[in-house]
Amino acid sequence: MTLRLQSAWLLEAVSEIATIDSVFFPFVHRFSALNWLSRRDFALSVNAFSPSQAMLLRAWLDGSYGVFSERNLQKFNQQIKNPLDLSMNPFRAWKDRLFDRQQLDYLFYWREAAFEIEEESQREIFWSAVYQIMSYWLSNRACEVEVECRPDEIMGLMLNRHAEFIKGREAKVAITSLSLDELAPAETCLTLFPMVFGDEENAEMTLQVVFDAWHNGHDDLEQARRQIRMQLRKYQIDLARPTDYYTITKLSANSKITALIWSGLDLPPALYEQEMVRPLQKAFAARYAKSQLLMKAVDRTCDAYDYLLLFY
Amino acid sequence: MLITFFNAILIVLITWLAYLYFDQREKAMPARERYAQLMRGVASIVDRLEGYDKEHSREIAELSERIGVACGLNDQQLQSLNAAAMLHDIGELLLPRDLVKSDKKLEGDELELLRTHTLLGELHLKAQIEDLDEVPTLIRWHHERWDGLGYPDNLKGEEIPLAARIIALADAVSAMKAKRDYRKRQYARDEDVVAEVKRLSGMQFDPQLVKTWIAIGCPLASIKQ
Repeated sequence: MTLRLQSAWLLEAVSEIATIDSVFFPFVHRFSALNWLSRRDFALSVNAFSPSQAMLLRAWLDGSYGVFSERNLQKFNQQIKNPLDLSMNPFRAWKDRLFDRQQLDYLFYWREAAFEIEEESQREIFWSAVYQIMSYWLSNRACEVEVECRPDEIMGLMLNRHAEFIKGREAKVAITSLSLDELAPAETCLTLFPMVFGDEENAEMTLQVVFDAWHNGHDDLEQARRQIRMQLRKYQIDLARPTDYYTITKLSANSKITALIWSGLDLPPALYEQEMVRPLQKAFAARYAKSQLLMKAVDRTCDAYDYLLLFY
Repeated sequence: MLITFFNAILIVLITWLAYLYFDQREKAMPARERYAQLMRGVASIVDRLEGYDKEHSREIAELSERIGVACGLNDQQLQSLNAAAMLHDIGELLLPRDLVKSDKKLEGDELELLRTHTLLGELHLKAQIEDLDEVPTLIRWHHERWDGLGYPDNLKGEEIPLAARIIALADAVSAMKAKRDYRKRQYARDEDVVAEVKRLSGMQFDPQLVKTWIAIGCPLASIKQ
């Protein structure tokens, strides 16, 4: 699910067509990808593909959430001095597969502690910090790098990082978590579809699987994986399916410009013209007179390119 | 105006010097060496503007190259890595000088403006030199973080090209040890730099690269004497 949203490149391309002050994302692959736009006073309407992704969007991009309070930090980020009883830990099956014993103790403690946090927004910030910590632990484990930070120390660091991230942000992000069938087109200047073509599991998806299982209080990764794949499938646009053209045109009905972005290998532009541009031109024929396909080399080591297809 | 009069003069001067340099040395030196020296000259101007007490850009380029070799990059990829590392902060030439050399912790609009140096560097180079290929893109992403909380595009993990991840690590390592004319060294002792890099593995830095960096002996300063 590698997908790079290069916001400044996107805006540079669309600024020649119209002035943009609002963007609608019927799907977003990762919360932090919207940071650049949300920092610059664009009104964003974002549809998350799962409830946990919607929570991350609220916690990290909604300025009204503020920062995690010092009082809650003192209260809910205690250092565990003695190991907890492993038989009580619902995530014990993950021991030495995903996390070490100490990390599992903290995951157990943090989940229980989060339910004690009264304000929902504060609880969501706390949970979203655990998401980042899981990412940190899992990526170090994947590379067999020993983690140097104590868990309570890393929690403090993550919440600090969150405070810096959210600082000065104005709440202009409307967040939903609906399937594309239920979603209505937003009144925005630009509708942007990040395109995900496959559902092969990468590190980010594994993280989401583990986090969702933890968040729901069980250790069954297969169940969480099935759930996420099912949710993701609802957002994967397949241009071989006629109904998906209808979805794209329906959801962009109230926008001056529609953009599709994807990241992929260096394929001949003619192939994209044939497989994507022309069928979409046909679908949009009644609304948009012009289209433009832009591409950008990003990594020669793996021949990776980013693509941007505009209709206006 | 982003471009102050001084900076505009500086840019014209650099271009003119580059022209003169090529013109004068064309017959006397192999093209690759000429290119390396020109890069070094331009980079030293950026280093001076940023207030470094050393050849910061050159140090990053050489550190990046060592890590890149250990990662198995080929000659062409190493050349791109070197050029991007040398020119990584060139966008700062297009920003007001007092912003770049500010001794206070920047916040709000000032911080956002400073962060545009990644985009300005990419745009400016792309507009001037078509043959640089992926180098401008690497410059754009040298402040991305492994955990997705960097800038400008908040790329995460392997979405960030390997070469940009290498430059980010080398830049941080060099900056931790550097003294600037308006700021003290962040870490006086080498072991503190190593500890900080290990601490930030999986957050700011690619853990695999940190592992590679440790495997080649945690090089901190790599300028060939």
